[in-house]
Amino acid sequence: MVEIRVLVVDDEPDIRATVAEMLEIEGYSVDEAANGADALRAIERHAPDVILLDMRMPVLDGWGFAAELNARHLEIPIVVMTAARDAARWAAEIAASASLSKPFGLDDLIRTVGEVRGAA
Amino acid sequence: MTALELLSWINRILFVVLFIAVGWRAIRQPTRSNVNTAILFGGIGLAVLGALISDVAAFDPPWLPGVLIALLNACPWAMLRLVDDFRGSPRWVQLGGTVTFVAIAALSLLLFERFPQLVELVTIAWFLVVGGYAAVAFARASGRSRGLTRWRMAAVAVGAYLFIATIVVVFAAEFLPAIVAIVGPLAQVLALAAVVAFFIGFAPPAWLRRAWREPNLRSFLEHSVHLSGVVDDRELVLELQRAAADTLGATGASLGLADAEGVTMRYIGVDGTFGSYPAYAFIGGRAFSTQKRLIVTDAAASDPENAAAYISWNARAVIAVPVTAEDRRLGVLIAYGDRAPIFVEDDLWLVQLLADQTAVILEARRMAREASELRAREETTLLKEEFLSAAAHDLRTPLTVLLGQAELLERRLQRDPSSAIDPAGIVRIAREARRLRDLVSDLLEAQRLEDVGPSVDREPADIRELVRASMDRYGYDGAQFKPALPDEPILVRMDPVRLEQILDNLLENAIKYASSAAPTEVRAWEENGEARIAVIDHGMGIPSTERALVFERFVRASNAQARSDTGLGLGLYICRRIIEGHGGRIWADETPGGGSTFNVSLPTEVLPQPVDDSPAGDIPLSPAAGASPDG
Repeated sequence: MVEIRVLVVDDEPDIRATVAEMLEIEGYSVDEAANGADALRAIERHAPDVILLDMRMPVLDGWGFAAELNARHLEIPIVVMTAARDAARWAAEIAASASLSKPFGLDDLIRTVGEVRGAA
Repeated sequence: MTALELLSWINRILFVVLFIAVGWRAIRQPTRSNVNTAILFGGIGLAVLGALISDVAAFDPPWLPGVLIALLNACPWAMLRLVDDFRGSPRWVQLGGTVTFVAIAALSLLLFERFPQLVELVTIAWFLVVGGYAAVAFARASGRSRGLTRWRMAAVAVGAYLFIATIVVVFAAEFLPAIVAIVGPLAQVLALAAVVAFFIGFAPPAWLRRAWREPNLRSFLEHSVHLSGVVDDRELVLELQRAAADTLGATGASLGLADAEGVTMRYIGVDGTFGSYPAYAFIGGRAFSTQKRLIVTDAAASDPENAAAYISWNARAVIAVPVTAEDRRLGVLIAYGDRAPIFVEDDLWLVQLLADQTAVILEARRMAREASELRAREETTLLKEEFLSAAAHDLRTPLTVLLGQAELLERRLQRDPSSAIDPAGIVRIAREARRLRDLVSDLLEAQRLEDVGPSVDREPADIRELVRASMDRYGYDGAQFKPALPDEPILVRMDPVRLEQILDNLLENAIKYASSAAPTEVRAWEENGEARIAVIDHGMGIPSTERALVFERFVRASNAQARSDTGLGLGLYICRRIIEGHGGRIWADETPGGGSTFNVSLPTEVLPQPVDDSPAGDIPLSPAAGASPDG
């Protein structure tokens, strides 16, 4: 079985760790990044299959990160995860594949990541 | 026909025409002043007419000049009565005038044939005395009046001076035969000018009244556009009263404002403040209750119950017009004058126009007020929505962790009931649950502060100890904060729990937004009877335009918002409310070299904080307005 790599980008350490654990228990392999810049470095090391992306972050936010990704012609499916009301709108803005509104449960997370992974 | 003859004819015809015009008016509206004006013009007109008939018909009996002089003597008598009508004069002047008139008329009828010069001299003296008296009286009346009435009184005064000049010229001709040649035309021109001036003043034609009023009316209408913006009721009413009185040339005007139910009416009294009266009271109340326009020529007689008030207001003639918009009864506009003749028939129409304009202003104001109330309600609703949305947003982050960790535990237990509990997960659950609790209490605290203000519960507290405790809570390692505290305690009268809340908020912010490169300085000192605290960070700072705003509810600096998803924008707001509730101040500055400095000052002494807002000992003065004659 091919290992699926997910990159979790969020400035809240507890969220990062929780989401990572939720993915790992379902067999995903997870990398973590605290902001957009961190995430770009992580991608250079190891390209993920799916990116879970918080939007408002210090240093480099979700929009900036998505633009960088575009500039590098890296086509990795993105799932926007945010506590803001505008999850779907923000997802559309950066042409993400899906969005998750915080708080989300284990099943929502796994299903969404699975769908995005399946479509890619 | 010579030019002199032509002038003489024009003169005679004009005298007669004016007499007819004034006479017709007196027949239609037989008021005292109209009748007296008719007598004034009639004396001259009949004398001119008599002389004319005698000339044309060669009818020249020896008794005719005596009769003509007797007729002319009615002019000064009528003028004295007009002074009384428009300005008032002592009773003995009126009585003396009547006696003199009768005596001179009798003298000229009986003795003119035998002693013509004596009669002429007495007549001239009588004309000069009355002319001078009237000229001075009307000139003073003009100075004291406003608008239209001012012009009318001035015209009459000019007429009286011209009248004197005419007499002087005629008198001079008797004793200086050399000037007889020019006396005829000069006297005629002067007399005609005097009569025209009297006509303009005593019985101004409608077009002239309109022309005189035009500037005041125009200024009222132009001014009224801005009046709906006047917030203060008192100021608005005073402005409208002044404008109405000016436009009408009235002694004064009064605007009564009815309450919504139309039960009471507010007037501004002589003391300059509003007094409430039953809506039906006074002549104005009568107009308001019946919704009819009223003209009253003797207010005290018409409303004897309030006679004293009218006398104290100098209100003899009163015009009252209801101020009504559609079916909304807003109040009543009252114009009053010390003398009845200053009002003429079409003044009622003008007061109606002013009342309508007043209604428009009051309605515009009411609508503007309602609109702003609606806006305020909408803003409150919007603020509540924002509050809910901000609250929901911030609660979601800890909830994500709680839900995720709980489901992980559940999943693990499902798969293996004997699996060991993940200690890191438990730590996260506890931490995020605490965070959730803090957020909820922040929200509730902010709401409570908004509803009831901060609770003021004071105990002496040492700021140094509280700063140290707060640094222990937030300083994970010693390098994060650099304290600068004095050796002596700094005591403030304040609930230590509240002060802790403030310090925690400031230090938490410093950690959240400051750079880790340079430690945040925390200083406390005493200065001019104030305890001072400064939290000086070297972080990203607050844009200068937002420095005052960050203390408002739900406001976060734009750069803070970009940096982190979390934060309700309540921390500094709560700080400010608590500090201000304790008589202190909080403000933000820029740290030299970059970063933010948060300053707090608190009184070190117990300040008598005004807990009870009702002013002690401030008993309002009795609202009695101009109802007593001794006021």
